Amino acid sequence: MLLALVLLPIVAGSVMLLLRGEDRRLYRGIGVVVALATLVLAFAARSEDWSAPWLRAPFVANFHLGIGALAFWLIVLLALCTACAVLAVDSARPRALVGQLLLLEGTMLGLFISRDLLLFALFYDLMLVPVFFVLLERGEHPRDAWRYIIYNFAGGLLLLFATAAFGVLHGTTDVIGSAGNAISGTWAPWIFWGFAIAFLVKTPAFPLHTWMPNTYASLPPPVAAVVGAVQSKAGLYGFFVIAMTLMPQEIARYSTALIVLGTISLLYGAVAALVQSDAKRVVAYSSLSHLGLIVIAIATQQPLALAGAALYIVAHGLFTAALFIGLGYVEEREETRSLARLRGIGASNPRLAGALTIAGLAMLGLPGLAGFVGELVIITGIVQSGNIAVAIVAVISVVLASAYVLRLFQGIVNGPVAHDLPVRRDLTWREGIAIAPLLLALLYLGVNPHAVLASGSVAIPRAPQSSSAGVTMP
Amino acid sequence: MANPEHVMGVVGSYPLLLALWLLPLAGAVLCWAFGPQLKRAAGWLATGVAFAAFALTIASWASGTQSLNGALGADQPLVRWMPGFHLGLLLDPLSLLWACIITGVGALIHLYSIGYMEGDSAFARFFAYMNFFLFAMLTLVLSDNFVGLLIGWGLVGLASYFLIGFWFYKPSAVAAARKAFVINVAGDVGIMFAIFLIVQKTGSIGFGNAFAAADTYGPTLLLAICISLFIGAAAKSAQVPLHTWLPDAMEGPTPVSALIHAATMVTAGVYLIARCAPLWSHDGNAQLLVGTIGGVTALTGAILGMVQWDIKRILAYSTMSQIGYMIMGVGVGAYEAGVAHFFTHAFFKAQLFLGSGLIIHALSNEQDVRRMGGLRKRLPFAFIAMLVGVLAICGIPGLSGSFSKDAVIQGALNHGHPWLYAVGILTAGMTAYYMFRMLFVTFFGRYRGEIDPSELGIRHPEFAGTAAHADADGHDSHHAPAWLMNLPVAVLIVPSIFAGWLLYGGANSPWHRFFDPQFGVASLANVPISELTTTLVTLAFVAAGILVAYLRYGTAAARESAVERLRRESVGMWPILANAFYIDVALDALFVKTSELLGRIVSRVLDPHVVDGTVREAAIVTQGSGALVRSLQTGFVRAYAVFLAVGIACFAAFYAFHGVH
Amino acid sequence: MATSFAGVPIFDYEALASVLFFIGLAGAVARRNPLVMLMSIELMFNAANLAFIVFARAWLNNAGQIFAFLVITVAAAEAAIALAIVVIVFRSAPQVDVDDVRVLHG
Repeated sequence: MLLALVLLPIVAGSVMLLLRGEDRRLYRGIGVVVALATLVLAFAARSEDWSAPWLRAPFVANFHLGIGALAFWLIVLLALCTACAVLAVDSARPRALVGQLLLLEGTMLGLFISRDLLLFALFYDLMLVPVFFVLLERGEHPRDAWRYIIYNFAGGLLLLFATAAFGVLHGTTDVIGSAGNAISGTWAPWIFWGFAIAFLVKTPAFPLHTWMPNTYASLPPPVAAVVGAVQSKAGLYGFFVIAMTLMPQEIARYSTALIVLGTISLLYGAVAALVQSDAKRVVAYSSLSHLGLIVIAIATQQPLALAGAALYIVAHGLFTAALFIGLGYVEEREETRSLARLRGIGASNPRLAGALTIAGLAMLGLPGLAGFVGELVIITGIVQSGNIAVAIVAVISVVLASAYVLRLFQGIVNGPVAHDLPVRRDLTWREGIAIAPLLLALLYLGVNPHAVLASGSVAIPRAPQSSSAGVTMP
Repeated sequence: MANPEHVMGVVGSYPLLLALWLLPLAGAVLCWAFGPQLKRAAGWLATGVAFAAFALTIASWASGTQSLNGALGADQPLVRWMPGFHLGLLLDPLSLLWACIITGVGALIHLYSIGYMEGDSAFARFFAYMNFFLFAMLTLVLSDNFVGLLIGWGLVGLASYFLIGFWFYKPSAVAAARKAFVINVAGDVGIMFAIFLIVQKTGSIGFGNAFAAADTYGPTLLLAICISLFIGAAAKSAQVPLHTWLPDAMEGPTPVSALIHAATMVTAGVYLIARCAPLWSHDGNAQLLVGTIGGVTALTGAILGMVQWDIKRILAYSTMSQIGYMIMGVGVGAYEAGVAHFFTHAFFKAQLFLGSGLIIHALSNEQDVRRMGGLRKRLPFAFIAMLVGVLAICGIPGLSGSFSKDAVIQGALNHGHPWLYAVGILTAGMTAYYMFRMLFVTFFGRYRGEIDPSELGIRHPEFAGTAAHADADGHDSHHAPAWLMNLPVAVLIVPSIFAGWLLYGGANSPWHRFFDPQFGVASLANVPISELTTTLVTLAFVAAGILVAYLRYGTAAARESAVERLRRESVGMWPILANAFYIDVALDALFVKTSELLGRIVSRVLDPHVVDGTVREAAIVTQGSGALVRSLQTGFVRAYAVFLAVGIACFAAFYAFHGVH
Repeated sequence: MATSFAGVPIFDYEALASVLFFIGLAGAVARRNPLVMLMSIELMFNAANLAFIVFARAWLNNAGQIFAFLVITVAAAEAAIALAIVVIVFRSAPQVDVDDVRVLHG
């Protein structure tokens, strides 16, 4: 079942790339069915474990698949985002786009259910390929594609080196999700930074982020939604299941460095988002800021912060995907993304404006939506870890977030109808259904975040330091 | 849980409370989803929901005031996020009072809005937002924990944002909405910070745990918590220096100003401090700080209220000033007095706003008092409504305002703050001046609507709240029946006059009997000045204020030369007052401009040239070495053959000289 | 270890092989006709083969002979492919100069 989970989208995507014809309804339909099927499979295979031998020398590596607690929510997020993104595809050549989206889903699924470091590294590189080709074929400039692939492959290479070193040192790479594999010693810091830099590139965090705004702005909106929402979480997921469990000493030793990087990302992204004139770049830089917060949470190693991080990973995925899809609709209608030109969507397309509003509010952390719960719990954890100054920076970034989000969607939604831009009809049923599940999930998790919060603490085998405050996780 | 769970109310199942809380949400969703189908019925639906919520509040009275083994009120658990993060509803006397005002005054304002918003193109959307606001505000006051309070806190900010920016095609409304929202988020963040500190100490977000541990925090932490909470309160309740959004918020429709920016939402800060009374009571420094800021705000609001020309801005600054009183009251520890002022203020300020709405509506959206005048005969009902409101706010004995305001002023003295006492009395005089100034300029003399704005010294009519956008906001000539708007105002006149009598009777008054279980009976040292003296001194200042206003605007001579006088005053106004002490400018320069500058540096300099520059250096080095190697690939097969031969020769030479081992 | 076969010393065999090899090398580097270049390459192969066989005989080790056969097979395959390429190139231009065919230059 686990194998089917990975292979289904990969096979479906590959077959689709080989077919002919550009029937939009057909390919969209197949894509949605496949994505939803992976969702069902993920539920069915939740407690399965599957393994086949791979390497015996120079170290043991297995094709080992299994679904961890955090991975489960990421898979749900991934399947949901893919289904929505496929449904939102409105290209004249949908076949290749849907096919690449399914390939992207399959490779990322593989990443999330890998229980072996080498397998993880393999999928880590594979998942770059569909995005690269989409960028090359449909991006705004081939340069963006190359920048994306080189940056991320460089990260993947480091990951591979670190994996190999880990395997040689430890004897096996079949270690994800099983306790008692922590390493230490002379090589541990090197291996740790190998992994950490790879993950920081993927997340991205300052100063390794410069591939990101171009990539997100250049990708077609449905793909940008999946990449921004889920692919960016591969690094954070790696921190949870690799850096944190295999090198707990190193992450504790270098937590200051990670906190500094995260804090810089947090502020840097927020102020940069404040002045962008391209709507998608606002979201891109806001991602830098929000994911910086998660990096801090991971670095503090506080149970509360980690629980919040798990929730925020999911929440960020949901609102980023919703925003990219929504902005895609705006771009399709108005043929521009420039905040200087866009205005008055609220009057001409009230439903679209409503969708953008909810997504934007989740992004700025409106109390009651999922993003807020994540931020609140993370920063509570940061305060518990004693980093009051970081917490202050974090809450400042929350205020900045409200400023740039309002600037973004007031710019698009408010004002008189723009008569110099085309006026198209409001959201169709298909477009509405493609964005609604994401928004509903944001509302639901805002009220009832318990299950996802718990997954963040399950990821740690044991709390690295006992909390003084009397808050203990289940 | 390390600590035992302290819950403030009697835990149980209270279906009425749940219904009261969720009904407005249902109304909002219905109006939002089925607005086009409901049309005018949306207004009646929303109003019905508000009245039903009020009825449910009254029906929950008994459970809200019950007392069992030290637990006061009703507590309804809702959901559990994590250990220590339990959400629930709490109805105790304090939240009961707020719920009554929110739903009661709210229902009347809903009714009024049906008339006021008649013909607006987004009629149903307006009522969806209004009901949503009720829900949000009820969430705020009914939560039994800080996170629920913060959720409500954020949602009322959102509702306020939507309603300020309701006419979203007006750039000024959009800008005002954004400003209000961002400042309020700054406040939210303050409360968030308090939550972090409380959770760190107690491991729980519940009020009960936080207050039970009040004496274990230690002075530094307690002060930090109080200051953080107060940042939230100051932003929401428009306290100096976070008040600048409130006057701008008057861009919203007038019923919104009445409900959100006068009666309920802006008093959330008062609620917060009254709710956290156990924390404040433990910290004298926090009391001094909050009391002082309340006093400063009362004074600032009054000073700025004296120089405004837009009728809604006069009321806005007066709101700010009155909330200053409330904050001063609850800040220094006179919780019952501060809350009482909220109670009476909700009635007379809502009435003033609704009365001004009658005028604005009748004059097709004219808001500048310089272009009014002589409206006493044309709008007699509005005049009576405004007159009662003005008398109440000035603290004329017998009307509601006098009881609560005197209680606050006396409370400041009783709790050992003579300076705040003096500020309170001085502000009362100034309040009387600017309210009567508004009354005289608006209702007496001759109508000045036909006079050219520049004659009256109005330099920028488009910014002065004039009727320039009268037809832009979707109103048409078609008007609702007058009783729809007059009835709520008439109903409000009753509590505006009589609500204060609940405080009559000193320690045995109904008010004290209601709140003593909540705040306890304060035992205070004897003070040299009795309540009667305070009342008389205040009254003297009020009389002086009225007299000055009369001399400047009310005498027959002044009425005759009104045009010339208004022009002179407008043109000659001190810049420092016209610019509201430059607080707005300073905030703009300090925060907005700075962060935008940082943003520009980051995205135009740092990102492309420094961070990405390093990456590009690497790329250039790679490309350079690539070019070097590439130049060897000439494409001449024979050249490759030579390379090959040379390579072989090198190997051969190596082995020849070294030998093979 | 034998020092001569059929009365001819090993040195002579080796001298012949090197002469053949260098003739081939010179032809491959200096001539611009692809057919001549191919023949020159064959010459170098055969020089190597000769050396393999001589040493195999000298050290009584069959590996050298096996390698010679391998080289012959590879040479045959190489010739087939190379001739195919030459034919294709000839088709587009009647006169072929290998220096003109440099599409793959860097």
